Amino acid sequence: MADIVLFFASNADTMIATKALKDAGVTAKMIPRPAGVATEANLCLSIDASVESPAKNALSGAGINLGGVSR
Amino acid sequence: MKMTLRVRLLGTIIGAVVLFFLVSVIATRVVLQRDLFNLGKSEVTNGAGAFGGYWSSHRDLIKVLVSQDAASSALLKAVQSHDTSQLQDQLANIARTSNLSFLTVVDANGKVLARANGMQPGSLAKESIVARALTGETVSTAAILTGKELTAEGLALQAQMAIVDSSGATIGNSTDGLALVAAAPMSDSADRTIGAVYGGVLLNHAYDIVDQSTKALGGKTAILQGDVIISSNIKAKDGTREVDREVKPAKSVVASGTPYTGTERIGAITYIAHIDPILNDQSKVVGALWYGIPRAQITGIIAHTTNTLLFWGLLAMILALFLAIPIVERLSKHLATRSKQVRSAAKELGVVIVGSEVSGDHVAQTKSTIEKSGAIIADLAKAGDPSGKLAQLKSLNDEALGDVIVIDTLSQEMSSRMKQAVDRVSELNEVAGGLNELVTGEQS
Repeated sequence: MADIVLFFASNADTMIATKALKDAGVTAKMIPRPAGVATEANLCLSIDASVESPAKNALSGAGINLGGVSR
Repeated sequence: MKMTLRVRLLGTIIGAVVLFFLVSVIATRVVLQRDLFNLGKSEVTNGAGAFGGYWSSHRDLIKVLVSQDAASSALLKAVQSHDTSQLQDQLANIARTSNLSFLTVVDANGKVLARANGMQPGSLAKESIVARALTGETVSTAAILTGKELTAEGLALQAQMAIVDSSGATIGNSTDGLALVAAAPMSDSADRTIGAVYGGVLLNHAYDIVDQSTKALGGKTAILQGDVIISSNIKAKDGTREVDREVKPAKSVVASGTPYTGTERIGAITYIAHIDPILNDQSKVVGALWYGIPRAQITGIIAHTTNTLLFWGLLAMILALFLAIPIVERLSKHLATRSKQVRSAAKELGVVIVGSEVSGDHVAQTKSTIEKSGAIIADLAKAGDPSGKLAQLKSLNDEALGDVIVIDTLSQEMSSRMKQAVDRVSELNEVAGGLNELVTGEQS
């Protein structure tokens, strides 16, 4: 399955999201912001599309606002 | 040099206790001084009242004695028989047993028939008390007897005095005397006045009244002729009785007839004294009655109370210190421990900050190296890549560069946070330094 990119409002949010996903057992890789993603943060998270739903739940549970998803 | 926290805390506790007791002692002294002095005034006023009563009863006793003498059949018989020799013997016996200073019998014209202290011819017709007795009235009063009158009664020596002022300087002499006197008519069986008995007690240098009253009332008493003490049990500096001495406040009492209450130093002692005027039967002031208690009775209570307060205050202070020292010690130790902990945490944070900065630099160098490596791979690829290995190497290099960019970005993000942490660590160090200075008094 293809990877999707989760982006956030700031680098700090991206960092916290990485830890939250790691704690929730969702594998995420931090990557530089791809060219087509519109956010002020320089970092984004790349995850497998199959774990999008658990990832969103984990982020919501941790109180982290997701800026958007780039497919 | 700054004081340590324990010194400040203990100093504050000691200061508070000392201040509390100083204020208490001063307030107690002021209140006690006022209240006890008022109580002392009240006591001497009451004592003086009792002394006045004692004085009145003594005057009445003399009146009774003289009245009894006037009614004595033996005296009447002697008067009627003009047996002056027998009369004199009888008078001498009566005066001695009644403690009278003088006792004189006159005939109906006021002519002296006999005196207890020896035959001195003369007339007492002009003596108002005797004159009134010859009209049938029984009279008793305090009276000033002149030197001449006293000489006639054989009492001149007892009354003589050299008067001194409060400093001991002689300010005059007097031959007059103050006496409690009484006169009563003598009547025959037909109720005709055939004479009178005139007697009394000369109070100058006679101490029965003052000693008896002091025994009953306590305090000290004195009888004044005018404003001069003529009889007292007040001790002079040399231990003798204070007599023939002027009492300044008595001057106004004698002049105005108004009682006085206040302090008066006589001899070596200061008294709280009350002075009442002595009035004769014509309401004229002839002397004064002085009653006093040593002021030391009052000041002694004040001193005792003050000393007691100070003693217990000192004890309370020592007790407070015993209780406070361990508490202050524990508080100081606790703060010192916290100070060390803050210092230690600040030091650890300092290491983390330095490590972060160093690793940030290293990441930047790695990023630069991978970028250079990518540029070389790109140059090699331009020359041709028949095995496709350069394309694989470029892919790996790009991935590594992406990771390094991420790490570098994270590092920069952390660096920004670390700048804030540096400020906080600086503040923590200041807090730790402040705590240390507060506890130990030493700057660090």
